[in-house]
Amino acid sequence: MAWRLYSLDLSRLEGTAGEVLSGAPEGAEEGYPASFQPLEEPWEARRADPVPWPEPLYFVDGRERGEAVLSDGRRLALLGCVAAGAVVYQQGNMRLLETRVRRVGVGLEEALRLGELVYEPLPLEGPPSPGDVLTALQEGLRKARTLLEEKLAGALAGGLLVVDGPVRLRRQGPVLGYIKTHWARYLPEDREALLSTLKPGERTPMFRVRRKGQELASWYLRLPLPPEGVRPPESGLLRVETPLQGDFGALADLSLSLFPALASHPVKDPRAPQNLLPVGGLERELSRRMGSREVVARILARHQDSLSADQGGG
Amino acid sequence: MERIGVVLGRREATPLEFWVGVEGEGLLRLDDLVVVEGFHPKVGKVRYFGMVDLVAKAHEGESFDTDVFLAVQGKIPVSLAYVAHVSVTRIVPEEFFPPDPGSAVYLAREEDLELALYYDAMKNQRGSTKLPAGFLKSGEVAYLNLEFLNGVKGGHVNISGISGVAAKTSYATFLLKSLLESEVLEEAHQARVLLFNVKGEDLLFLDKPNLRLSEEAKEEYRRLGLPPTPFGSVRFLAPPKKGEEGILPDVETRLEGVKAYHWDLVQFAQKGLLPFLFTDKGALTNLGFLVAHVTEKLRRLAEGQKGPHLLVADWPGGELPEDITFDDLGRVRLKSFSDLVRYLEYKLLGPETGEGEGDRTWVARQARPTLEAFVRRLRSSVENVGHLIRGDRKGNPPDPLSGSHQVHVVDLAKLSPQGQMFVVGSLLSDLFAKKERGQYRGRVFVVLDELNKYAPRDEESPIKDVLLDIAERGRSLGVILIGAQQTASEVERRVVGNAAIRVVGRLDAAEAERPEYRYLPTSFRQRALILPQGMVILHQPEIPVPLLVRFPFPAWATKREEVLEDNSAEALRREFF
Repeated sequence: MAWRLYSLDLSRLEGTAGEVLSGAPEGAEEGYPASFQPLEEPWEARRADPVPWPEPLYFVDGRERGEAVLSDGRRLALLGCVAAGAVVYQQGNMRLLETRVRRVGVGLEEALRLGELVYEPLPLEGPPSPGDVLTALQEGLRKARTLLEEKLAGALAGGLLVVDGPVRLRRQGPVLGYIKTHWARYLPEDREALLSTLKPGERTPMFRVRRKGQELASWYLRLPLPPEGVRPPESGLLRVETPLQGDFGALADLSLSLFPALASHPVKDPRAPQNLLPVGGLERELSRRMGSREVVARILARHQDSLSADQGGG
Repeated sequence: MERIGVVLGRREATPLEFWVGVEGEGLLRLDDLVVVEGFHPKVGKVRYFGMVDLVAKAHEGESFDTDVFLAVQGKIPVSLAYVAHVSVTRIVPEEFFPPDPGSAVYLAREEDLELALYYDAMKNQRGSTKLPAGFLKSGEVAYLNLEFLNGVKGGHVNISGISGVAAKTSYATFLLKSLLESEVLEEAHQARVLLFNVKGEDLLFLDKPNLRLSEEAKEEYRRLGLPPTPFGSVRFLAPPKKGEEGILPDVETRLEGVKAYHWDLVQFAQKGLLPFLFTDKGALTNLGFLVAHVTEKLRRLAEGQKGPHLLVADWPGGELPEDITFDDLGRVRLKSFSDLVRYLEYKLLGPETGEGEGDRTWVARQARPTLEAFVRRLRSSVENVGHLIRGDRKGNPPDPLSGSHQVHVVDLAKLSPQGQMFVVGSLLSDLFAKKERGQYRGRVFVVLDELNKYAPRDEESPIKDVLLDIAERGRSLGVILIGAQQTASEVERRVVGNAAIRVVGRLDAAEAERPEYRYLPTSFRQRALILPQGMVILHQPEIPVPLLVRFPFPAWATKREEVLEDNSAEALRREFF
């Protein structure tokens, strides 16, 4: 049976990398805070002298957007758009380095062309549980986005790479990942008290994190959130992690020169201060490159007929 | 062709205006001319020519003004947009469909520029009518269509601008240079120019080379097709010095080659110049009537007389001032303007003793207060024009239509306002009357600054009548007015309105907002406030947008210090022998 347009209203399927990744899945990780293991002692707030940023300094981020759900009567497929991009700081200037945009059809077996839009097939791994089809499709889209991000990040040579979300990719040079929301708890209760006394520009000592065979060093740092003292101290927290290799201690100190300077202002950004300035700019750019949601929806609606014709019997 | 950008799609592109996004290192400035090619299968190729009238740069997508600080600190990536608004001047062929967003935009050069500015249309059956009018910003020559200046399709030039920034007079003289020597005007050798020098002695050195004329400026003249030389054939006339026996021109910086001008009493009476002493005619209609009547009486009185003095037979001895003389027929000789005034006073009001009345044939049934008002005004004018209207010497009024000189500069700077009015009014009415009678074939260009004084919007005067006549009928008679003023809003609408070519130099901010300048697009009105020296905005009927034009440094001296002294043996010989 042919694929038919099932729904175009997918606003709830939209999300950005950081939010999705630092959400629920992280909480299920390998038994924290029980296996908490500090890398630095004593357990108290730490400061560091300002250091110049390393160059080139890359920021990589991605976006995903579900654009339509198709149905052939038995199965569902999700048409979506994923984008990843990098900005680079070099010679005192932050500029857009690269963006990549792909359209994918999660659950499709063949490429689908609708007007000028081409959706590449991305088959689902194994049959999803019936109740969770949409979640599985969404997960597929997220994977496509992560893949695109990692591919783009892998091509960046030298310097320091900063990624939105946990560090997953293996990279030759140093890499920092930052997590904006804190559903998962890493600290035992007696150590957590330090978090609420951190002042802007201070961090906790490093502690060890193990994830899927990866050894990481992580720490919390406090971003400035003007006006100080109005919001709860936790709202300015950022968790940063880096692979446990090389001089990760120096990276922890560098992070105090880096992240507070790039914190966004609450007047301008509802996700302040954790949504970093260059990343905010990059995200705006990415959504521009993904095209207007309305225009895409109209193209899809207009080409419904060719949908069934092309995929006749598919 | 140099590609400069593409037509924007985010903003509407219309056949008459569109926006351009400038690419890469491209440079697009105000006044640059561009060309875009459009295509539609039913029409074929269409080319849009236009002029940039707005350029802007902005950080795209940033919603906060303070984002720029973050961008400068290198904290956010920004996208810089460089856009320009284009007003279309021409579409070839005239198919008014919009250009496609994304169409390539090119700088218009050479042939394209000529099309954009309608230069190709500036010709008649006898040849090109492209009159060099200065340089465009791009360095190419700007032309205006002579047919809109010489009276064929339109005539007259009006120049506005505040004084002191070398726009009005300098541009007017430059235009004259172009008219007389570019060989675009037919029979230019027959054209005559009447220039009034209203301030200082700026125009008294038109025939002297300028010391400060640089080689580059000379080259500019050559590119315009003009010789970098002063005016060749100029006659300078200045009013005589007051209170001196001999007739010497009242000038300070130029001592040689200036002739004094004046009218004798007979010329004054015969030509009917009396009304030009009364500049407030409208204020009293009875007075106006009386002026006309007395003018006519004087004309009849002077009939057949040779001058310079006016002979009158009906002034009894007892009333005479001491220095009055008689001719052999016993008639009284009026030898000065004040004599004439006293004579008129006697004729209108009777003897000074207060007994008796005026001559009935002169008073024209006017009430005594009117007669007294008339006499009062006449008396007060003795001081102002007594040296211009005299009975002691044969008159020598300026006459631009006779003699061999092409350009006639008439100095007014030292005259009182009434004297200036009198000279301008007398000369223009005389000149216009001669052209009306067909006494001179060639064209006559009249350059007059301070039009607001001679043709004010709210007042009536005999001079305004003459100027209106010239403005409205002059172009068919071959009298072309190149008028100037600081503020066009204060000049009679019909005088400004009849000028086909409008020129604007630097304007006062309040003045630029007045309706008289609405023909200028906003960007030009704004720029009129900051125009530098040597630049004007030129508007002509055929081109829908004004041109910002730079004109070369004068090749003639504009003051004594600028005169390039000619010390060659030949020049000295001319001087001494």
